[in-house]
Amino acid sequence: MADSANEERLVHELQRELERELDRSLDDAELQRVKELVRAQLEAELRAKQRRIAREKEQAEEYFVRFSLNVCLQHLVLAIGVILLTITGLPIKFHDSAWAEFIFRHIWSLEVNRIIHRVGASLLMFVTVWHIGWLMTREGRRELRELLPRVKDLWDFIANVKFMLGLSSERPKFGRYSYSEKFEYWALVWGTAVMVLSGLMLWFHRITLAYLPKYIFDVALQAHSGEALLAILALITWHMYHAHLNPEVFPMNMTIFTGKISKKRMIEEHPLEYEQIMRERAGAERP
Amino acid sequence: MRQLLALGMVLISLGLGSELSYGQRDPNARCLLECHGTSDFKREVAPGQFKSLYVDYEQFKTSVHKDKLCIDCHTDVTAIPHQRRPEQIHCLQCHYQGNVVGAPVSERPEKYKESVHGKAFARGDPNAPDCKHCHTVHSVRAPTDPLSPVYRANIPKTCGSCHIEIYTEYLESVHGQALRNNILESAVCSDCHREHDLFPPDDPRSSLHPQNVANTCARCHADVKIMERRGVPVKQVEAFKKSFHGIAIEFEVLKSANCVSCHGYHKILSSRDPRSPIYPLNLANTCGQCHPNASENVARGRFHIIPSDPGAGIVFWVYEFYRWLTIVMTAGFIFYIVLDLYGRWRHARRGSHG
Ligand code: HEC
Ligand code: HEC
Ligand code: HEC
Ligand code: HEC
Ligand code: HEC
Ligand code: HEC
Ligand code: HEC
Ligand code: HEC
Repeated sequence: MADSANEERLVHELQRELERELDRSLDDAELQRVKELVRAQLEAELRAKQRRIAREKEQAEEYFVRFSLNVCLQHLVLAIGVILLTITGLPIKFHDSAWAEFIFRHIWSLEVNRIIHRVGASLLMFVTVWHIGWLMTREGRRELRELLPRVKDLWDFIANVKFMLGLSSERPKFGRYSYSEKFEYWALVWGTAVMVLSGLMLWFHRITLAYLPKYIFDVALQAHSGEALLAILALITWHMYHAHLNPEVFPMNMTIFTGKISKKRMIEEHPLEYEQIMRERAGAERP
Repeated sequence: MRQLLALGMVLISLGLGSELSYGQRDPNARCLLECHGTSDFKREVAPGQFKSLYVDYEQFKTSVHKDKLCIDCHTDVTAIPHQRRPEQIHCLQCHYQGNVVGAPVSERPEKYKESVHGKAFARGDPNAPDCKHCHTVHSVRAPTDPLSPVYRANIPKTCGSCHIEIYTEYLESVHGQALRNNILESAVCSDCHREHDLFPPDDPRSSLHPQNVANTCARCHADVKIMERRGVPVKQVEAFKKSFHGIAIEFEVLKSANCVSCHGYHKILSSRDPRSPIYPLNLANTCGQCHPNASENVARGRFHIIPSDPGAGIVFWVYEFYRWLTIVMTAGFIFYIVLDLYGRWRHARRGSHG
């Protein structure tokens, strides 16, 4: 209905314009021509629009497998572990605060807190061992190669900053892992190493007290506490932003749980990898 | 209701001497002149056993109650000489909250009744102290009076008259030594135990309940002025509260260490004293009470450190490293995110405009 009204309006406008130009009224045949013209134009527009929608839908629905089930499970265990460690670690670090006091007095006792913290630590260590084992597999070796920092990452970073500032009009093209993802991975590796080593010294403080000078224990304690805060702040800024708050993925990037990524985001976020996959597919089809 | 209640023979002294300092106009004179003012005035409590009823008026006149009449306290004495034995009276008849005679009370003297001593006394323990054992009866002096048994310098001796072993131990401690050198800001028995509301340490009201020990020591050891005067480091309490032992104690893990688990209590000694439990060579044993594997390694490193304090040595540098790393990284993250959002916003705007 709206369309036919629109059509009529357009016909009417065109008619008036032509009449003004020619300085006479149009005859019936001419009016018929005008109507056909308008209809054809509208139909063409409609078809183009439908095509575009279909293409977008197709891109959106066409998924690439980004992470294997193994990787998704690793992330899940890691996430649970880190959340447990965070909610039980923060109240110890900020034991003076009113909320820590509230937690320890009304929600769980310090003794329970210590047990949960150790459960979280066990999950973290478990996933660390798992991850190291996985890195030895063929899949793991390939992923590790992709994760290694390269000079390109530095150029990508500079190019991206230029883009953000409006000094260049194009985003750099990322491969399978962008510099920000690589950064997060290696930050996690470093953080886990510090936390696990120092944490074990605190956990088994009886052994530490027996074989190592007390100041080593104190250093471990301080490193544990400092690194923990750094890691938590990185999680609630860097990770939150890239995985949740970023307008591209808001409210949540599900890729790490489903393993899938849409063609659209693949093209936008990992164009080089996309191109390579396409090349490989074409290569596989040719012979 | 035994013989004890029978009045002893009243011995009237004939030698009213000129040494008596009260005049006939003193309203108390009637009590003293004939009876209680003479030094051998006594009654027989059991055959052959006498109890002195003498009141040293010189002392009385210098006591805090000097303006009171005998009958202000001994209220049931209406006629002098009285015919019956006056009722047993007690300090608390005036020193209670809300009294009208103007007797000073912190709420503490009333708490005496619930204290270890008060309970033992009520049970009839013959050795347990009542007010009079610490304050005397008729020569009560204010705690600020150097002649008072409850003057700071005299308190250990007063308590020590019953707790003799503890008194000798205490005298050897830094606190006892300092007190002997007339340093009155050192700790005496009542600083740790309190004088009236004195409870066993497993009672949460006690100043020495594991959760309260740190605050009890903190009264002095967190006081910068006192500790600077004595040249003793002052951050121990703060450091203890930040340590895992302190956190654990605060949140009900009472088996954790409090100040006295490591320092001892009556014989607290400096770490430089070889007898001290915190003397480096003794430390393995001290920690060993609770950490069975502790070795001499526990003495390698400083104690009571506050990471943000340069005195913490290497720990301070770790602290500083992480502090700056955290500030720089977090600021960087936030800056990057803002930049990224700005880039996207600009891009989106340009995109929609053409
Ligand atoms: C501030 C109050 C107070 C005043 C004033 C006072 N007394 Fe007492 N007096 C007591 C108390 C309390 C006792 C009970 C002590 C005890 O528990 O054995 C006592 C006990 C006594 C006893 C011993 C009784 C006994 O059975 O052992 C005598 C005698 C005595 N007072 C005489 C006097 C005389 C004489 C005066 C006046 C010069 C006087 N008191 C003024 C409070 C007072
Ligand atoms: C008649 C009531 C009464 C009785 C009984 C009484 N007092 Fe007092 N007490 C007072 C009054 C009033 C004062 C304040 C005197 C003044 O400041 O001039 C006082 C002062 C004191 C002070 C000095 C407090 C200070 O901070 O300077 C002490 C200590 C004291 N009394 C202990 C005792 C003891 C111990 C007994 C029991 C032997 C006792 N009192 C019995 C009324 C009483
Ligand atoms: C175990 C010994 C002891 C006993 C028992 C004792 N006191 Fe005290 N009392 C002290 C000491 C020590 C001080 C001084 C405290 C200070 O330094 O301020 C004191 C101070 C006081 C003071 C003056 C300071 C204040 O708190 O207002 C009063 C009043 C007093 N006592 C009353 C009593 C009364 C009443 C009783 C009996 C119910 C009693 N005391 C029993 C040891 C004792
Ligand atoms: C007249 C003697 C006497 C005086 C003075 C005395 N006490 Fe006591 N005290 C006792 C007796 C008796 C007990 C035992 C009570 C019980 O365990 O039933 C006791 C118990 C204690 C206890 C508890 C012991 C335990 O096993 O938990 C402490 C602490 C204590 N006194 C401290 C003090 C202090 C501090 C002072 C001085 C301000 C003091 N006493 C003055 C007789 C005295
Ligand atoms: C520096 C603080 C401090 C001082 C000063 C101090 N005490 Fe103690 N006292 C303690 C602590 C802590 C305990 C043990 C509580 C526990 O068992 O956990 C204790 C225990 C006691 C006990 C119970 C018996 C025991 O040995 O466990 C008595 C009695 C006692 N003290 C009397 C005294 C007397 C008397 C004085 C003064 C000469 C005194 N205290 C001085 C801190 C102190
Ligand atoms: C009333 C104040 C006071 C209280 C309460 C007190 N102290 Fe002290 N303490 C002192 C003073 C003053 C010195 C310094 C003595 C000197 O000059 O030698 C001291 C010295 C020490 C020292 C030796 C320091 C050195 O380097 O020589 C230790 C250890 C100590 N106290 C531990 C404790 C503990 C543990 C407690 C609690 C159970 C406590 N103190 C309660 C006043 C106090
Ligand atoms: C886990 C055991 C432990 C606990 C709990 C503890 N301390 Fe210490 N403290 C030590 C050791 C060990 C030293 C040895 C000196 C050093 O290395 O600084 C020390 C030193 C001190 C000193 C300096 C005295 C000196 O001689 O060097 C003071 C004062 C002190 N502590 C007070 C306290 C107070 C107050 C508390 C409670 C709030 C407390 N400590 C709790 C173990 C402990
Ligand atoms: C009264 C017992 C007691 C004494 C004495 C004691 N500790 Fe502890 N300590 C504990 C308890 C309880 C814990 C809690 C952890 C646990 O379950 O072992 C603990 C925990 C610790 C920890 C681990 C803290 C953390 O952050 O995880 C260290 C380190 C430690 N103590 C060192 C010492 C040293 C060094 C000494 C001797 C100067 C000492 N302790 C003396 C009871 C004690």
